[in-house]
Amino acid sequence: MNLKELYQEIILEHGKNPRNLGKTDDFNKDAKGNNPLCGDNVHVYLKLNGQKIVEDISFEGSGCAISMASASIMTDLIKGKNENEAKEIVEDFLQMIKENPELKSEYLQDDEKTKLMCLSGVKQYPMRVKCATLSWHTLVSAFENKKEEVKTEN
Amino acid sequence: MKIENIKKEFPIFDEKIQNNDLVYLDSANSSQKPKVVADRINEFYTKQFSNVGRSVHYLAVAATNLYENTRSSVQKYINAKDKNEIVFTKGATEALNLVANILGQNYLNEGDEILITELEHHSNYVPWHFLRKSKNIKINFAEMNEDGEVTLEEIEKKITPKTKVIAITHLSNVTGAILPIKEITDLAHSKGILVVIDGCQGAPHLKLNMQDLDCDFYAISCHKMYGPTGLGVLYGKKKWLEELPPYQGGGGMISEVKKDSISYGELPNKYEAGTMATAQVIAFDESIKFMENIGIENIMKHEADLVEYGQELLQKNNSVKLIGSPKNKGGVLSFTLKGVHPHDIATILDEDGVAIRAGHHCCQILHDKLNIPASARASVGIYNTKDDLDKLNDSINNCKKIFNLK
Ligand SMILES: Cc1ncc(COP(=O)(O)O)c(C=O)c1O
Repeated sequence: MNLKELYQEIILEHGKNPRNLGKTDDFNKDAKGNNPLCGDNVHVYLKLNGQKIVEDISFEGSGCAISMASASIMTDLIKGKNENEAKEIVEDFLQMIKENPELKSEYLQDDEKTKLMCLSGVKQYPMRVKCATLSWHTLVSAFENKKEEVKTEN
Repeated sequence: MKIENIKKEFPIFDEKIQNNDLVYLDSANSSQKPKVVADRINEFYTKQFSNVGRSVHYLAVAATNLYENTRSSVQKYINAKDKNEIVFTKGATEALNLVANILGQNYLNEGDEILITELEHHSNYVPWHFLRKSKNIKINFAEMNEDGEVTLEEIEKKITPKTKVIAITHLSNVTGAILPIKEITDLAHSKGILVVIDGCQGAPHLKLNMQDLDCDFYAISCHKMYGPTGLGVLYGKKKWLEELPPYQGGGGMISEVKKDSISYGELPNKYEAGTMATAQVIAFDESIKFMENIGIENIMKHEADLVEYGQELLQKNNSVKLIGSPKNKGGVLSFTLKGVHPHDIATILDEDGVAIRAGHHCCQILHDKLNIPASARASVGIYNTKDDLDKLNDSINNCKKIFNLK
């Protein structure tokens, strides 16, 4: 997929109409992330139940279309997964954005994989990879309930 | 050399960049290189190479002469009084660090104040910030007005009895404002204040005359002047370069070294420690000749036409908001597009072969003031044409289509 198609797809899908935007009422874990280069920032809220299943997830933030669409797609996919599954999906996504040609996780449906693969267009733009991965790193940090902000610069 | 067909002197424009003809609008960041400059580097390395200043063999002497020739060319180009007022550095960043460092060592005292502006590039802020920590120096900021300018009146307002140095940009790399540096220098000198000018954006585009301007220091970035990377120039009044202490220590900058005492070399060696960017310095002579051949007046006229044309185009484009409208403006068009992040703009423009910059352009203070994290910036050089600006505008329109903007 070339970049124009990527933009068309994700903007129409998620940029105009982001899923899970806002602050979950009774979240019990959260973390913030920031990409100083672009000024993207994101705050991920999680509600984990006793079985460590993500009952609810949402995000607040501002930034470029890629970072916002990525956060929107991520929250959609992660809802209902347990912590271990979620972390594996994150790892799978990060590997795909870096080098893997495809997604491997057994926890992702085919249509979910297709959606995520939309973001693979940023691969050729190393500067923009950080935009796409910010919310995912922040999600991991939220599981740990880390207080310090995730910075994508390192 | 005619500016109308100058593009063909730059081999990069013969290349296809991701299948597109290159529309290069990022010269404020770094300019492209004419063939003569690239060839000169190659020629020096393949036919004439030696280190300078150290050996007495033929190649060393010849290389030293070439190196010193560039110093003389720079002196003439900026009309400095003395050849020894030209110091080579690794960039404008190092030039500004050098000035802040030596003034910090031996000129400034605790509680002294430095006046900079909200327009400054981080290179003309962070080196002074170091002195906040080490010397308890205070930094004041002259404010940018709504047009993206810093006026003489504003500078005057911010001068206090403790102001010892005014460090300002010649031409803003974001708003394009050309500051009244001559008037500011006169004012500063009437109050015994030193003037340091970040000339990164001035030197490639404006006529320079150090003797007339009379500033104390002027920093130049050679890679923005159609020259090699890794090279900058610091102009400093001889009086200061003689009086102030060295910056870095090492080979080349010393006179005599004993176990219990060291004496330093004369200018210009005093400020050029270690092996310098020899090939770059030698090739930079070609950049200066190249600009002289075209003529700075012609360059200024050409670029002023381009800015006016680009400004009009973008002003007519709904959704585009230009940053700053200074009365005296250089070739920088920074803008935002309603609802579209500058990085998205730059990425989409890139698909059309239009190279611009997006981000804070190393000017976070300025962007904070405007309450935006980043902006998009198109900047011109001698090789640009009105056609390039039309393509910029067309590509912005493509971007608007993707984002459903009118
Ligand atoms: C206004 C200004 N100051 C300083 C610099 C730094 O110059 P250099 O790259 O030569 O260190 C730049 C270039 O980015 C600039 O635009």
